[in-house]
Amino acid sequence: MLRMTNLSKVYRTHMIETHALRGFDIHVRPGEFVAVTGPSGSGKTTFLNIAGLLEEFSGGDYVLDGVNVKGMDDNARSKLRNEKLGFIFQGFNLIPDLNLFDNVDVPLRYRGFNAAERKRRIEEALGRVGLSSRIRHYPAELSGGQQQRVAIARALAGAPKLLLADEPTGNLDSQMARSVMELLEEINEQGTTILMVTHDPELAARAQRNVHIIDGQVSDLMREATAYAANNT
Amino acid sequence: MFRYYFQLGLRSLRRNPMLTTLMVVTLAVGVAASMATFTVLYVMSGDPIPHKSDRLFVPRLDNAPLAGYAEGDEPSDQMTYQDASNLLASGQGLRRTAVYGTNAAIESGRPDLPPFLTNGIAPTRDFFAMFEVPMLYGSVWSAADETARKDVIVLSRELSEKMFGSANPVGKTVRFEDTQWQIVGVADTWNPLPRYHRLINGSGGSFTGSEQYFLPFQTAVRHEMGNSGNNNCSGAGPTEPGYQGWLKSECDWIQFWFEGKAAADQPRLKEFLAAYVTDQKKLGRFPRPVNVRMENVMEWMKHLGVVSADAKLSTWLAFGFLLVCLVNTVGLLLAKFSARAGEVGVRRALGATKNDIFRQFLTEAAVIGLVGGLIGLLLSFGGLWLISMQSDGMAVVARMDWAMLALTLSLSLVASILAGLLPTWRACQVTPALQLKTQ
Repeated sequence: MLRMTNLSKVYRTHMIETHALRGFDIHVRPGEFVAVTGPSGSGKTTFLNIAGLLEEFSGGDYVLDGVNVKGMDDNARSKLRNEKLGFIFQGFNLIPDLNLFDNVDVPLRYRGFNAAERKRRIEEALGRVGLSSRIRHYPAELSGGQQQRVAIARALAGAPKLLLADEPTGNLDSQMARSVMELLEEINEQGTTILMVTHDPELAARAQRNVHIIDGQVSDLMREATAYAANNT
Repeated sequence: MFRYYFQLGLRSLRRNPMLTTLMVVTLAVGVAASMATFTVLYVMSGDPIPHKSDRLFVPRLDNAPLAGYAEGDEPSDQMTYQDASNLLASGQGLRRTAVYGTNAAIESGRPDLPPFLTNGIAPTRDFFAMFEVPMLYGSVWSAADETARKDVIVLSRELSEKMFGSANPVGKTVRFEDTQWQIVGVADTWNPLPRYHRLINGSGGSFTGSEQYFLPFQTAVRHEMGNSGNNNCSGAGPTEPGYQGWLKSECDWIQFWFEGKAAADQPRLKEFLAAYVTDQKKLGRFPRPVNVRMENVMEWMKHLGVVSADAKLSTWLAFGFLLVCLVNTVGLLLAKFSARAGEVGVRRALGATKNDIFRQFLTEAAVIGLVGGLIGLLLSFGGLWLISMQSDGMAVVARMDWAMLALTLSLSLVASILAGLLPTWRACQVTPALQLKTQ
């Protein structure tokens, strides 16, 4: 599903160069639920942004679902992002003056679906996260957990192959966090690959495997092998 | 997608209502000021007869005394009876007319309508074809009537309705100058703007007034009807007494028009005019060097300064004001769109290209322009009303037609799109990754 080989990302100012990622290798297989952990400043978010085609990388290769994204222009990256990726953010990132229907509608508009198809997908996605009855409500009228569910519905509506979650429960209390995590596990069981950045070791433990990043490099692959082997025997 | 962007634009109006109101009002005021003044300029400087304004010509001759002559002097705007008669008889051009203004105290013969004073003009019959005067009833007098200098008259619709109601008065008579004038036709309402055919001596100036009747030129002369307008005797004045002395004098009081077959006739007619002056010199007239003009409609209006310098200056100032409004709108749009960086980040993450963002935000700017244009239109009407209060002349030109209405909306749209370019471009430069983390 996702393979990065010897990937590097350097931020340059006129004074200094900062290597956010260096010699970064990772392979995520279809259907996996991978938790990405690491201390602050280790490069987790940079990795997620590059995986989500939101940032360009400086060197190496990145193949997403069989497509080498190196050198792609903005239009092609946007199209690929729209068709293959779904995003869930810590801050939910719903558009405040759009109701739930219109928020979930956003990625579908850019996909070019007709009105009937968009309506079907929106209702199905909001039904899947248990918010069918709130379809005309605005984000401000919902709890944090419900807003995150809307964000998940928005990500699911386009039927992405890979769901990228950046601290998806970071702004939620433990009960809501558990509920959101259960929803993600359910989505994963239905075949969607999930890559989740988290600080929470408890959440990370619920993933099929963990990738630990330190100083811009993947540091511990042992658990990957163990977990993967366990799932495939 | 345009419909989607348009809907988002309408929704966006509700976001930051204070900022939106400021932008809309700024644009509306700028557009209204520009359009109110431009509308006046547009009507003032419009071509009143676009399909033939390049082949209707005013001849001008310099018959002033030699004393005081300086090179570059402008010939008189009118001409003498001698010259008008000679040019009418010249056969030059497709059509010709001499025109002068008259007044008449008309006796209706009706007990309920006492005699009243009204004004009209005395042209030749060519006048009607040259200036395309529409006829409601009957027709212009015949060539035979003109030659015989018969007492025939064409009424204006207004005068006809005043005297005869809605009935067709052709064949009836009206009485003035102790004469029964036979009505041969009624001219329909006809008010070209500017009133290019009567820019001088017209009853009301360049934009107002109308002719209540039309008499054959030579019939009016036969009745020794006086000129209602400017009489310019730059020389010694009439040397013989009475009306006949007036006709033989070098006093200018008649306006003259040629109609050419094509615009190319203009230089040829000017050459003829110069030859005519040269010929007249042999008779002891035209003491100055040959100095003639042959101007088409637009040149004639320019010569007479139909568009005042004030009107031009006001328009320039108003468009300068619009520019200031635009710069303000750019600043306000920058503020509005900068606050939307988070939304841009989300949309980009969900698959929007930079072009999608560009189109969305530019459409939002256009929606602001559309609303500003609609309000600007209302303000323009208000501005024109204020302008029209200045004088009757301004009341005629301060009016909006469909073209100006469409131009007002277009101007507002174009202005808002121009103002939106920089803020929209800035919005497109948002780094989505940065915005998503800071949301």
